[in-house]
Order: sequence, then C-alpha cells, then structure tokens
Amino acid sequence: MSVRVGSAALALLVLALPFASFLLLALVRPLRRSAVAAATVSITAMVAAVGSAFWLSWRSLPRALLQSPSTTWAWIPADGGPMATVGVMVDDKSMAMCMLVTFVSLMVQLYSWAYLHDEPRPSLGRYYAYHSLFAFSMLGLVLSPSFIQMFVFWELVGLCSYLLIGYWYDRPPAARAAVKAFWITKLGDLGFVAGIVMLWAAAGTFDFWELFRMANVGALPREGLALIMFLIYLGAVGKSAQFPLHIWLPDAMEGPTPVSALIHAATMVTAGVFLVTRAFPLFLLVPDVLTLIAWVGAFTALLAASMACVESDIKRVLAYSTVSQLGYMMAAAGAQAPGAGFNHLLTHGIFKALLFLGAGVVIHVFHTNDVFRMGGLRGQPLLWAPFVLATLALAGVPPLPGFFTKEAILGGVLEAHLTVPFVMLAVTAFLTAFYMFRVVFLAFFRGGLGDGHAHPHVPGLMSLVCWALTVLTIATGVAMARQVLTAGHHDGAPAWLPAFSLGLAGSGILLAWLTYQRQALDPARLSAALAPLDWAARRRYGIDAVFVGFYRFVLLAFSRLVGWLDRYIVDGVLNVVSACTLRAGDRLRRIQSGLAQDYLYGVALGVLVLFVLAQWRLR
Amino acid sequence: MTLETAAFAGVAVVLLGSSLAVVLTPNLFHAVLWLAAALVATGGVFLLLDAPFLFGVQLLLYAGGVVTIVVFAIMLTERLVGQTLRSASRFLINGAVLSAAVFVGVAGFLVQAPAAGVRPALAGDLTVALGRALVGAFAVPLELLGVLLVIALLGALYFARSEP
Amino acid sequence: MPLGAYLVLAALVFAIGLFGVLTRRNAVGILLGIELMLNAVNINLVAFARFTGGLAGIVFTLFIIAITVAEVAVGLALVIVIFRVRRTVEADHLDLLRG
Repeated sequence: MSVRVGSAALALLVLALPFASFLLLALVRPLRRSAVAAATVSITAMVAAVGSAFWLSWRSLPRALLQSPSTTWAWIPADGGPMATVGVMVDDKSMAMCMLVTFVSLMVQLYSWAYLHDEPRPSLGRYYAYHSLFAFSMLGLVLSPSFIQMFVFWELVGLCSYLLIGYWYDRPPAARAAVKAFWITKLGDLGFVAGIVMLWAAAGTFDFWELFRMANVGALPREGLALIMFLIYLGAVGKSAQFPLHIWLPDAMEGPTPVSALIHAATMVTAGVFLVTRAFPLFLLVPDVLTLIAWVGAFTALLAASMACVESDIKRVLAYSTVSQLGYMMAAAGAQAPGAGFNHLLTHGIFKALLFLGAGVVIHVFHTNDVFRMGGLRGQPLLWAPFVLATLALAGVPPLPGFFTKEAILGGVLEAHLTVPFVMLAVTAFLTAFYMFRVVFLAFFRGGLGDGHAHPHVPGLMSLVCWALTVLTIATGVAMARQVLTAGHHDGAPAWLPAFSLGLAGSGILLAWLTYQRQALDPARLSAALAPLDWAARRRYGIDAVFVGFYRFVLLAFSRLVGWLDRYIVDGVLNVVSACTLRAGDRLRRIQSGLAQDYLYGVALGVLVLFVLAQWRLR
Repeated sequence: MTLETAAFAGVAVVLLGSSLAVVLTPNLFHAVLWLAAALVATGGVFLLLDAPFLFGVQLLLYAGGVVTIVVFAIMLTERLVGQTLRSASRFLINGAVLSAAVFVGVAGFLVQAPAAGVRPALAGDLTVALGRALVGAFAVPLELLGVLLVIALLGALYFARSEP
Repeated sequence: MPLGAYLVLAALVFAIGLFGVLTRRNAVGILLGIELMLNAVNINLVAFARFTGGLAGIVFTLFIIAITVAEVAVGLALVIVIFRVRRTVEADHLDLLRG
C-alpha cells in the first residue's frame, strides 16, 4: 500500500454522520419509537458514510514520510502546550478500516431490518440507535490520532457491545453474557489504561505520530518500556479475545445474529489487532513482547479451533472460529509481519460477516441454532451457496481471499523463525477446514431429514445482503490472485508454502466429508480416539471455571473482608469513641448532685487552688 | 501578763469554744444558743479593738435580732415537721480536712506578712468620726442600704404569705 | 496584742464556720455556719481598721452587719417556704437541680 493521507474534513464527515444519526434517535423520542423512521435515519446516515469513506480513499494523496497524517485540536490544557488533543489521523490503515466498518455496518443494518422484523417497534428503534452509536465509536477508534482518544472510543465500543449483546435484556442468559463481556474486556482495559499513563509519564505525549518519531530517533526511554507495551497489549487481549480473556466471545452469541456479524466478527473484536498494528513502531522496540504476542496468538488459535470441533451451536462454532482467526492476526503481528495480519483482518471481516449472516438465514429457516436439527437443503443452492463460499474462503481455498492472507501470515511466522507457533497455526488451519465443513455438511447437506422444508421462505433483503457480500468476497479474492500472479512470489517465503496450506485445507475438508457426509468414519469413534482432548474441549478446558472460582473465592472473599473491616474497624473506632464519650458524660454528670453543700466543696477547693497559685507567685 | 492579753485570751477562748459548739451540737436549738454566745464574744473582741459602738450594734442586731429570727424559724419548722429537729452531720472528716486546709492556707499568708506590733494612737473619738462619715462620705451607701432593707422586707413578706 | 493574733483568731472562726456549712444537714444549721463566717470577716475588718488608723473598715463592718440581718431574714423565709412545699428539713433532700 502506498503511503497516502486523506482529507481531515472528509474523515470528520464520516464520523459525524452516524453520530448525528445517533443523537437524533437518542433525543427525539417519537423518531426512535417508530422503527421505520429509526431504521431510515440510521441506514441513510450509513449510506452517506459509506460513500464518504470511499470518496476519502479515492481522494487520498501520497504524503511525504515526515509529514504527520493527523489533524488535531487542543483538548486538555496544560502549561507548555495541551496535555491531550482530539482529532483525526487519516492514513492508509484508518482509511481501509473506515471502508470496512461503514460497509459492513450498512450491510448488517439492512439485514437486521428483515431478520428482526418481528421485534416490537420501540425495541427495534432502540436497536438502530445503538447501531449508529457503534458505527460512530468504531470509526472514532480507527481515526484516533492519540492513545487517549483511542481509549475513549475503545470504552465506547465496549459499551455498545454490552448494549447490543444485552439487546434482549429480559432474557437472563443475554443479560449475563452482556455483563460478562463487559467485565472481561474491562480486565484487559485496566492494563491498557495503566500502560497509556505510564507511556505518557515516560514520553510526555499521547500522540501516535509524536511517539513514532521519538521511537525512530531513539528518544523514548527504554527501561520499563517492555512492561508498558505489555500492559497496552493486555487491552488487546481483552478486546480481541486472546487466551485467557477469550471466554466472553462465545457467550456473546446471545445477542442477535446481525450484531454478532458486525461486532463480534468484523469490527469490534478487531480493535485489538488494530491497536497492535497501529502501535507497531512502539512494539518494534520490545521484540520480547512481540514474541509473546505471537505465541499467545498461535496458542489461542489452536485452543479455539479445538473447542469449535465439538460445538453443536452454529453461532458458537463461528464465535470460536473468530477467536481462532484473531489469534492468527495477532500471531502475524507478533512475527513482525503486521501487514499480513492487517490484510487478514480486512478480508476476514468480509467473509466472517457473510458467514454469520448466512448462518442467520438457516437459523431463521429452522428456528434453532443447533446444527443437529438442521439439514436437507441440498436442493437449494441459493440458500447454501453464500455460506459455503464463505466457508471456503475461511478454510483457505484459492482464489478466495482467505488463502492469500493466511499464507502470508504463515510465511511471516516462518520467516521470524517461530517454529512452534508455526506448527500450531498449521494444525489450526487443518482444524478450521475440518470443523467449518462439519458445520456445512451437518447444517445444509445432510439428507434424510425429510426435505419437508421444500421451499423455505427467506426474506429478500437477507438474501440480497448475503449475495452482495459474496460478490465482494469473490472480487477481493480475484484481485488478490491477480496481484500475486503479477508480482510473483514475495521473497522470504518458502516455495512449498502455498502447496502446504492448500494441502492442510484440502485434508481438513476431506476428513469432514468422510465423517459427516459419506459416513465412512464414525464421529463417535473419532471422539473416542481423542478422548481426553475431547472431554476437555467439551468443557471449554475449565477456563470459565477458573474465572468463576476467582470471582467467588478471591474477589468476593476480599469484598467480605473489606466489608468486615469497614463495619467493625472503621465504624468500630467511631462507635467506640462515641460510646466512650457517652460513658464519660454519664460518669461526669454525677458531679451534679443537686446538693448545695457539694458545690460548696467545689468552691472551697477552688479557693485552695487560688491560695496555692498565690503562694507560688509570691515566691 | 497584761490585762489586755488576759482579756484577749478569755474572749478568744469563749469565741472559739462557742463556735465549735455551734457546729458540733446535734440539737439545733442548743446550737442557736451557742451562736448567741459566740456573737457576744465577737462583741467583746470589738471592745478590745476600741470600737464600742460596734459592740453595741453587734449586741443589738446580731445577738438580739438574728438569734431571735433563727429561733422563730426553728420553732416554725419544728412545728411543721412535728418533731424535734435532730441535726446530725454528714461527712465530718471531709469537712474537717477541707476547713483545716483553708485555715492553713490563710495562716500561711499571715505568717509571711511582716509583724505589725504596735497600735497607733487613737485619733479622737471614733464614734463621732463614724457618725460624721456615715452621713458625709458614705451617705450614698447608707441610703442604698436602706433600699436594700426595704427590698428584703418585701421579699420576706412575699415568701411568708399564705398560699392562695 | 499584735495584729496577727486577731487575724489568726478570725481565720480560726472562719474555718470553723466553713466546717459547719459543709457538714450540717439541717438548712438552718447551714445558716448558722454562715453567720460564724461573717463574724470572722467582721473581726478581720475591724482589726485592720484599728491597726492602720482608717475608718473605712468600721463603716464596712456596719454595713455587713446590716446586710447580714436582711439576708438572714430572707433566707429563713425561703427555708420556711421550702418546708411548706417539700415537707422536709434536710439539705440532702433538696436535690431538684440534680443533673
């Protein structure tokens, strides 16, 4: 990608459109309660935003390397220049993300109109208001020129995730899932904010451009930088569901399917990867942290893939797949190939959204998420073609985009000589193909379920959106294929790599076909063969239990201790003081006997004291 | 031993003895009688100090008036209660210690003061000078004293009235 | 007799009177103690007046005697009223100001 900069005014327009839509829907109650009006406002704003984002990229100009791509205004005043600024940074990464976010948001909002058609009108209006807020927050995040602004939008995005997962807030599982997502990402955010503040203390600025410049000339203090960057990475761990903070993403599937497609596949969860990619010049200074990122990413990918193999809920499978692919992207960043990771982010965004929306179609037809209750759709290619195409893209079959980006990541990891992560990622690729096609064969092609759903009715809008995304996937893939063929092999990657990744994908598909379509292999015997892994994977490796245990036995115990301290020591001190005062008062009041002679005793004693004083004075 | 010294010793003994009797006698009526004796002895001290007019006033007002009033009061309260008032004392030791301490305190000051030995000569008749002073320099206090006596009279009358 | 003798005598009578005030149970008995204390003061004043040649001490003593008489009258009237109301003699029972 050439180094280009876009117009700040256009970027602000892209930001302002969904924000205006949100403000309108939030403040004007009748507009919100009428779902039609709300959807119209939101979708119109989104269309305009898409147009602006594309025009922004179209109109971008090449920039000199030393010119800052940011436009900022002072925000928090301080002596000697503002402490923090607000503004926009419109370089190639943010422009690409703008296009992705606006386009997928638009697709999802259109799809939601058909998918959630049976919702009560005011709720649907609320849904669109949240969508507008989310679009604004995500766009703000990718356009941020400084850590602190990014953090503000980071938290806003987390809020939107909570609001949208808990859209059906009267269902306990959904409410719990929303809170869980919020808590777990908040854990990561603790590290994030600590890291930002420590970085500011060391460098004196929040601004990305300034920090990169300082990093380049070696003006950043090195001691403690590893800790700082690790803490910042923790924020990405939470948001992008890396091990061990990945547990919130599968539960987040309680939200409506379009929400899962937008937030937990294409855009919000990628914020962590975006952060690492954006701050990469800083991470370059601490290669140990990068290695850790790569290892954790590869491990997360493998872990999630293993759990996806035993899932029967189609959305959960896709959720694990998202975690797995996020691991891929992080591994690429850790292997010092952030470009490969970023490309995978962009392409994954498109075909993962398509996967979720396609799954939404089949959920809508069968009114269940369980793949074992679906099937018999072999005769309706219009229904299964988008999903299957997206699956092929995810598995890494050329000429679809997943193949090229995955291969680039594998090449990058190999180039960095990270062999164990490479092996983990390779096994993950095999497993990805396997479990995705397991779902395909079970949900779509399984015969014998009495093709009673001969012609299920799928709303036209849903099909339209799915086909639009399908076309985009194919087009992207073709463009990438053409680029690779014209540019030739990029040096560094071994020649056997494309064939190797293709082989992994092919063998995974073959195994799935044999097991679930041909019934040549018995899935039960496969599970038995890998019994201990199978048992652990079905229980999600007990990681949830660890968190619950920590909450119950550590956090609550600590709270109880603090409560006890508060009641008996802090309050106790005050109570003791008050009781002593009362008792002393009680004892002192006995001086007031009411008898004049007793008071006379007092007078006489006073006179004696005066005598003593006078004698003392005379000396 | 001169006459004056002997007289002083006698008067002192009477005064101290009757004072102790006033505070120690259980019977209140007897205490009042002992008080009369003490007041007369005080008059004797005034005589020794060349103030015969005061001796007269002391006898008239104190030994005459005050003692009479107190006797009346005892009679009235005795009748009210219906029995002879037996006045026992409380916390004798405490009182004794404190009184002794006060005396020691005062005596301490006295001991430190330089001894004034000789009386100066009398400057004419004290009584005449006293009379002149009362209507001369101390005329206003005298009138105020009259007012005070009227107030006291009214107060006593008010208290002593029968309940409506 | 030197001045000191009269002063010591007065101090003794004062202490005795104080003892009486502090220990007597009967209200009238307390008044008797007060009388003794006032007497002691009078002796003091006259002694000083004699030995310093001034008249003020004697005049003061006269006034004290007069005021004392008034005070005794009012005080005993108060005692009689209290006896009417509370039907009791003893100072120990007059503790309405108890805190």
